[in-house]
Amino acid sequence: MIASAYASAGASVEHAAASSGLPQFESSVFGSQIFWTVVSFALLMMLLNKYVLPTIGNILDSRSNRIAEDLQKAEHARKEGERLLTNYQGQMVAARQVAAQTLEEARQDSLRMRDQALVELNQEMAKKKNAALVEIEQAKNRAMEEVRTVAVELSMQVAEKLIAKSLTAEDANLMVQEALSQINENQTRLH
Amino acid sequence: MESLPASFIGMGLAATGLGGAGIGLGYMFGKAIEAFARQPSAEGQLSKYVWIGAAFVEAIALYGLVLAFIIMGKG
Amino acid sequence: MNFSFVAEAYAETAQTVATTAPKMDPLHHFQVINYLKITPFGFDMSISNSVLWMWIVVGVVYGLFRLAMRNPTLVPGRLQSVAEAGYLFVQGMIHDIIGPSGKKFFPAIFTLFFFVLFSNWTGLIPGSFTVTSQLIVTGTLALIIFALSIVLGAYHHGWKFLGFFVPHGLPPALLPLMVPIEIISFLARPVSLSVRLFANMTAGHTVLGVLFFFTATLTWAVAWLPFGFTVVFTAMEIFIGFIQAYIFTILTCVYINDSIHMH
Repeated sequence: MIASAYASAGASVEHAAASSGLPQFESSVFGSQIFWTVVSFALLMMLLNKYVLPTIGNILDSRSNRIAEDLQKAEHARKEGERLLTNYQGQMVAARQVAAQTLEEARQDSLRMRDQALVELNQEMAKKKNAALVEIEQAKNRAMEEVRTVAVELSMQVAEKLIAKSLTAEDANLMVQEALSQINENQTRLH
Repeated sequence: MESLPASFIGMGLAATGLGGAGIGLGYMFGKAIEAFARQPSAEGQLSKYVWIGAAFVEAIALYGLVLAFIIMGKG
Repeated sequence: MNFSFVAEAYAETAQTVATTAPKMDPLHHFQVINYLKITPFGFDMSISNSVLWMWIVVGVVYGLFRLAMRNPTLVPGRLQSVAEAGYLFVQGMIHDIIGPSGKKFFPAIFTLFFFVLFSNWTGLIPGSFTVTSQLIVTGTLALIIFALSIVLGAYHHGWKFLGFFVPHGLPPALLPLMVPIEIISFLARPVSLSVRLFANMTAGHTVLGVLFFFTATLTWAVAWLPFGFTVVFTAMEIFIGFIQAYIFTILTCVYINDSIHMH
């Protein structure tokens, strides 16, 4: 009875529903809303599924395809670059080997040449030494010959003088001395 | 008991459910801020869950509100 | 106990307030008004403001997407980027929760997300009607999802789907306790799903209604305060509208996933 008094007060403010709870709980409008919710949802789903989602999906797919393609291309280019690099590196190694080989050869050559020069030099030296030795020998022989000749001459002169006059011991001594000094003189001249 | 005053009391009681949601929200954001302070780099990932959780907790409070409205309709 | 004097006093005050001052009625804009009664064979398909705004939402969602994708280019423009972001957002959500087998639900879940999102958002336009603030609308959507999850479970698992209500690794002694709890929590899914969205929208708009009422009726010296709050709250509602649409969708995904993969 009291509630109805309140209700009548509420009703006078034109919205009876407001005084009896939320308008959402009013079941008289449920039927149409259920129906139209289902219909609207189905319609929207159909429209989106038919006209919108394939477009977006396609564009996204084509973009990801494009990106994948580009990536593949980049990968390809990278591989090509790597191949070229390996190639180049191989060439570098080969060139370096050739250079090292040439250098080694040159070194060997120079070594050989040096050795050869050394050997030749030694040979020359030996030859020259031999020649010098021979010459010395010859000179010595000649000197000996000369000494002999001188000695013979001297002895002949001594004999001549002995024969020519009788000699005193002092004279003989003097003469020997003289002869010896002559020999010495000859010898010094020889050397 | 008369139904109208009782319904007002009931509505008030139903609204006390908001307190629980308040506690929940406080806990959640407090913990979240603690977590962000410890691990600022995780903020991006965690804040998503914080907001979802906040919406869930808030909805609990609103169940109380709906109850209050239902009681209002019955009064 | 007799509280009649309280009620009487209240009724009296209500009467005076009703006749002298503008009445605060923040629930007014949830009122469904039938514009056109169509009831062929007792089947109610009347056109109301709620129905009208459903159509507007459908038109807006479809129109925006068509506008965004009217000439799609490989390097997207602004609107196209947004449309693609929405597409990828829903796709990522489905992929994260359901996995590859969720692909066939993509159109439905995409539609659901954007239908709910734009219902929430168009409702914020002053003078408009929030479709998702109607319990019956969210309830219908939730029941469709619920029915779908049951059908999917029965289709994928047959009678084994009843094992859904038996938690793993439970001692048999606890079964009589746990199975009813599981069944109740399963049945509560559509209720919580629909009530969460409807209550969020209703509460937000009610608060906005109260604040606007104060803004309109108070003197300008204090009216700026509730008006400032309406600004803040509208921003908050935009955010909540998105979050609730997201949660509605993500829970749909979770329910579908439960039905396909069980747990």
